[in-house]
Order: sequence, then C-alpha cells, then structure tokens
Amino acid sequence: MAGVKALVALSFSGAIGLTFLMLGCALEYYGVYWPLFVLIFYFICPIPHFIAKRVGDDSDAASSACRELAYFFTTGIVVSAFGFPIILARVEAIKWGACGLVLAGNAVIFLTILGFFLVFGRGDDFSWEQW
Amino acid sequence: MSGFLESLRCSECVDWGEKRNTIASVAAGVLFFTGWWIIIDAAVKYPQMEDFNHSYHACGVIATIAFLMINAVSNGQVRGDSYSEGCLGQTGARIWLFIGFMMAFGSLIASMWILFGGYVVKEKPVVYPGIAVFFQNAFIFFGGLVFKFGRTEDLWQ
Repeated sequence: MAGVKALVALSFSGAIGLTFLMLGCALEYYGVYWPLFVLIFYFICPIPHFIAKRVGDDSDAASSACRELAYFFTTGIVVSAFGFPIILARVEAIKWGACGLVLAGNAVIFLTILGFFLVFGRGDDFSWEQW
Repeated sequence: MSGFLESLRCSECVDWGEKRNTIASVAAGVLFFTGWWIIIDAAVKYPQMEDFNHSYHACGVIATIAFLMINAVSNGQVRGDSYSEGCLGQTGARIWLFIGFMMAFGSLIASMWILFGGYVVKEKPVVYPGIAVFFQNAFIFFGGLVFKFGRTEDLWQ
C-alpha cells in the first residue's frame, strides 16, 4: 500500500513539473514551443542507469567504474536540460520568464525521477505484476 | 562566538565513505558538461568568424580527449597492483596517462593564450568568446581531475 501512495505522490509532482513546462511554452505571452525539446532529456536521463545495471555484475561492491560512468552521464543529461532553456533565452528565442518556468519544471521533474528510483529502485523483489 | 563552528560536523551527518565515488562522479559531470554548455552559449551568441574564430573549438576538443584518456586508465594500473596486465602493461599505462595529462595541461594553457593573445591584447570589442573558451577548458580540466582523483578504487573490490 505504501508503494501505491508513493506512486500517487510521484505522479502528482510529475504532473506539476510538466505543468510548469507547458506554462513556459503555451502561455499567450510566451507562445513559443522550443522548450519542449527538454522532454528528450527527461526520457534519456534514466538510460545510463539501466545500461549500468544490466552490464555491471551484481557483486556486493559498494560501487563500480561502470556505475560511476553512468552517474557521470546522467549528470550530463541533467545539466544539459538546465543549459538548453538558458541558451534559448540567451539568443532571445524564448523570453527569460519562460526560461524560468522551464527551469522550475526541470527541477521538479528531475526530483520526481530521482524519487522514483529511490522509492522503487531499491527493492529487488519489486515487480510490476504485484498490483 | 568562538568555537561555534566546532559543533558543526558535516562529515558525520552524511556517510561519505560509501557515497564518495558517487558524489565525485556527479561533481565531475556537472563541471564537464557546464564547460561544454558555456562554449555552446558563446558559439550561438557570436556565430561570426571575426567575433569567434571557429578554430578555437579545437582547444575544447583536445581537452575532452584528454579527459577520456586520463580516466580510461585506473590508478591501480599505473601503480601496477591490478590483476591483469592489459595489452601494454604498467609502462604503457604510464605513457598513456602522461600523454593524457600533457594534453589536458596543454589545452588549459592554450585557452589562456586564446583569451589573451586573441582577445585582450588585440583589444577586440567583444571579449566574451575568449572568456568562454577559457572557462570551458578550466571546467573540463577540473572535471577531469575530480573524476580521476576524487574517486577511490577501494570501493570497487
């Protein structure tokens, strides 16, 4: 039951983050949809972790070179998601207010993804079929 | 007032021992990719050749190659206490690391040269691309150092 509560909370915060992103794009004052490309960063940011989990051996080591490389690339994707709207605002493709909204959405979404992995990534016996 | 920082023990509230490699990896990632976004910013802001000579990008590329070379060999390989010899052995690892660090220092020095020789001395109206090249290389360089020396290989065993 705790898993369901956490899932509902996480999906709520994810919806809040996407709302920030859409506000930055769709408000009539802004009205430019370039920031939607940060969605790509949202989708590819867990991929290094998945690759490292599949490739790395399941030994009891506290860390491994493969996992650290995955953290490095995940950080790069997150930094890119924050850098991209700032560059868009710098070249005046979008307004600075829209950039701020997208950055706020970024922060909420990445905290949601992190929370998802903290809540559901630990348990090894967790499977989707349990519900 | 005196000694009130002594009660502030930050090393005990977080378990650094287990998390050290993770934190170092994240810090290195932040530094490296911030560096690249700085140069992207300069490139989109000043696309003209006279503001920002495109050949100055070579500096950051060399720094990135040096980053990869430095971090491709482990410290254990250089000290010679790893289990496998690798294809070239300890001497090969040392030479590889030596070339990598030479490229890293070289790109850092070259970026300073670009900043001063290309922008400050010539008194160009726009200095920002030179500063961006310098900061890009500085960020990549320190990211490489953090990724190399911030992690400990004891956690891999």
